[in-house]
Amino acid sequence: MSQEVNLNDQVGAMTTHEVHHDEHHGHHHKETFITKYVFSQDHKMIAKQFLITGIIWAIIGGLFSVMFRLQLGFPNETFPFLENILGKWAAGGKIQPEFYYALTTMHGTVLVFFVLTAGLSGTFSNFLIPLQVGARDMASPFMNMLSYWFFFVASIIMISSLFVQTGPASGGWTVYPPLSALGDASEGSKIGMDLWLIAMALFVVNSLLGSLNYISTILNMRTKGMSMTRMPLTIWALFFTAVLGVLSFPVLLSGFILLLFDRHAGTSFYLSDIFLASTQKALPNEGGSAILYQHLFWFLGHPEVYIIILPTMGLVSDVMSANARKPIFGYMAMVGSMFAIAVLAFLVWAHHMFVTGLNPFLGAFFVLLTLLIAVPSAIKVFNWLTTLWRGNLRFTPGMLFSIGFVSLFISGGLTGIFLGNSTLDIHLHDTYFVIAHFHIVMGVSAFFGMFAGLYHWFPKMYGRYMNNTLAYIHFWITLVGAYLIFWPMHYQGLAGVPRRYLDFSGWESFNQFDGLNRFISIVTIMVFAVQLLFVFNFFYSIFKGRRVTTQNPWGATSLEWTTPINPGHGNWEGEIPEVHRWAYDYGKDGRDFIPQTEPISANESPESKH
Amino acid sequence: MAQAVPAEQKWWSGGKSPFNVEYGKLMMWYFLMSDAFTFGAFLISYGTIRFASNSWPDPNEVFQSFPGLGSGLPLLFVSLMTFILIISSVTMVLAVQAGHAMDKKSVVRNLVLTIIGGIAFLSCQAWEWSHLYHEGAWWGSNPFLNADGTKATTNFSNFFFTITGFHGFHVFSGVVINIIMLIMTLNNVFERKGHYLMIEKAGLYWHFVDLVWVFVFTVFYLV
Amino acid sequence: MHQDNNTEITFHHEYDREASRKEVVKITVILSVITLIELALGFWLYKSPGMSSFMVTLVKGVILILMLAKAFYIVAYFMHLKHELRNMIMTIVVPLLLFVWFIIAFLADGNSYKNLKNTYDPYHKEQSQKKVEKAEHGSKETDTKVGH
Repeated sequence: MSQEVNLNDQVGAMTTHEVHHDEHHGHHHKETFITKYVFSQDHKMIAKQFLITGIIWAIIGGLFSVMFRLQLGFPNETFPFLENILGKWAAGGKIQPEFYYALTTMHGTVLVFFVLTAGLSGTFSNFLIPLQVGARDMASPFMNMLSYWFFFVASIIMISSLFVQTGPASGGWTVYPPLSALGDASEGSKIGMDLWLIAMALFVVNSLLGSLNYISTILNMRTKGMSMTRMPLTIWALFFTAVLGVLSFPVLLSGFILLLFDRHAGTSFYLSDIFLASTQKALPNEGGSAILYQHLFWFLGHPEVYIIILPTMGLVSDVMSANARKPIFGYMAMVGSMFAIAVLAFLVWAHHMFVTGLNPFLGAFFVLLTLLIAVPSAIKVFNWLTTLWRGNLRFTPGMLFSIGFVSLFISGGLTGIFLGNSTLDIHLHDTYFVIAHFHIVMGVSAFFGMFAGLYHWFPKMYGRYMNNTLAYIHFWITLVGAYLIFWPMHYQGLAGVPRRYLDFSGWESFNQFDGLNRFISIVTIMVFAVQLLFVFNFFYSIFKGRRVTTQNPWGATSLEWTTPINPGHGNWEGEIPEVHRWAYDYGKDGRDFIPQTEPISANESPESKH
Repeated sequence: MAQAVPAEQKWWSGGKSPFNVEYGKLMMWYFLMSDAFTFGAFLISYGTIRFASNSWPDPNEVFQSFPGLGSGLPLLFVSLMTFILIISSVTMVLAVQAGHAMDKKSVVRNLVLTIIGGIAFLSCQAWEWSHLYHEGAWWGSNPFLNADGTKATTNFSNFFFTITGFHGFHVFSGVVINIIMLIMTLNNVFERKGHYLMIEKAGLYWHFVDLVWVFVFTVFYLV
Repeated sequence: MHQDNNTEITFHHEYDREASRKEVVKITVILSVITLIELALGFWLYKSPGMSSFMVTLVKGVILILMLAKAFYIVAYFMHLKHELRNMIMTIVVPLLLFVWFIIAFLADGNSYKNLKNTYDPYHKEQSQKKVEKAEHGSKETDTKVGH
């Protein structure tokens, strides 16, 4: 293969002594297509598998939002092409009410779990952890492979639920009982709901296998000299993410198991006092509590949003520091605030439940703990801004997306302070204000962090660059589009427009937003189209992008840039390099950057970590 | 007492495990943490529903039979189950220790005892389940009255069968793992490797199963 | 593959099998004794129906504390955690503190649910105070089963 020839050339030019290390190359036996691309145990290949599966999911999930935005923006129009795609779900070119719920449910599920959890931390944890801590691979490459394949099977089951006769789950991505527990309650609560639960259970297994690997790799597999406080912030972020996953996903699993029993074994964990309109029957279930499910769900659900946002915080920190040619400001404060966020993540879950019948006195504690999160979040924002301050900025696409991330994180974070107050939440809950808040702060900004990481590490992944012009178009339209879509939703929400409604034309008070809804829908379609441009750029560049010619194209300090341009399984030819300094020695002692592998020289100014 | 550590060790400087354990053991520990949250969530849900109910059945009225001795004997059968599990935990520790000493014969003996203990526990559970089933208790059905004589909801049985079932499933997996360990030991796999660390990990899992039983036993049978 | 797993372990212990065996015997005795005390307390609860609710809570509290003591001995000695490095102990014990708020919040809200329901659903309260005859043993109570 031409790439391998290229690799050997490069390596040969780089190190002359590596021939003597042939005894380390135990893996030079023939790799088949299957072991290299399908059941691969190489963390880099597994990362790419997660990434590409994630991209496919993102297209599907994004397409769902385009479909329901068509309905919201143009409630009186018909779109015959929808009937061609969706059949009876869009009879006469109009999305049917049941399917509208299915679309929003699957949009949420797909993007929260399959794209921004598996696609994001699956990709970057797998790709960057061994490369940045200096390990040959994950602690257990086999478990790592299993993790992907559990994700794959979960994906297949979730996809298949789209094609069952009664449609996919449609009770919202939080699948609250009793709606989700009673098959008679709606079409989407039948087999589609079971497939949803099974897919999510497998997803939990995928997350667990992955996270255990990430944690033990970071703890045990660091190369010589790579102390915890010399790790790039990306690794810290991925570490905390994995810890959150290990401790919170099992609670969700328990909640789902109880839900499955309620669905199929006649139990009443979540059910009590129910009269079902569709069958005109009172159910015998007694003694359960639907609020219990919500507690269990949000005990995961809240850490989940940090599982989504923490990795991007790490990626952004590294991309930003490398492209500002400055050390990250407040390294220890960054680590400390991520730790604080990780702890608080477990203490605030019930702020999603202020109006569900939660004890208001208990709610007051949740308000207090929730507002505390503003402190570490603000510390991080200030540190990013101070990193940019008087930096020597290079506006690479990765850098632009990092700056965009900070902008969105501030905008979305501020509305979080509104929503964290239980009194304000009485007015704002279940409105478009909430939609706007979480889409900006964890949806779009997580995507921005992910894009920053992809543009930045693409050369390391594929040995080629992505196209810059397309990347700039992608950035500007996405940034402007994201604000145009979600900013107006705040006003809609303040006016009381509820989420998950199919059609507002029946309400005099919400009619005034007809034009605005149309506008939002049009922008949504444009932004979606630009994402397809990114996908094109991504796949085109894998095969035809400009080749990377130097080992360290960004002039970055961290370890992954000391590997060959197309590293083989095992990452480094010869010995794993030793680390002598932290990852942020940019602009030090008059030098542009000093790689982590360079020993500290005698007359160097002291390390300034704090 | 913590390990006696050579004074100058820089545990976190990389190139070694900061905890002086191999990654597999670390993974097993963190997996058990995760599993603790699974069980924790179940037990806390049980507690939540109990706190949300005006009254609850008295376990001593429910669990009062012993095979061959009839009914009216609260706590007796579950004591037997508890001691079986404690003893099987002890034999597991002995197997792990024998592994440290590379004493294959003792490893085999203690593993066999542990497996017998596990199967004995599962048999007890099977008897108890079938006994309760014949009394009319199952998922979605509960014949027992509340302690104050009022009609109970089905949630007592619901939680009992779900949680002991989940625990029993763990015991079952533990027995399977131990059987695999036994086969590997008999085939000299660990002798060839030069260490019995796998047994130690299996042991961690087995003790965790015992640990969960401590909680299940207390909250279902005692309080 | 390249993984040099043997570099993870810095040193091995001098292993004293006899001391370990003694420790196991000691822990076994402790666990058994605690279990017996628990059983005795449980039996006492059962045999004294007229016990004041304060005493009931107290005895149950003692049982729960004994439960935690048993958990401690199993984790510390059987699972050998006490003999690991201090930092490793911390990574396992500290996250378990999350259970504190987990338990308090869930149980408090369960209790609140009961009170709210009793307050705003008087029918529910009335029904839950009705005494009923004990059902015959061996007859499955089919009417509580849910028919889908």
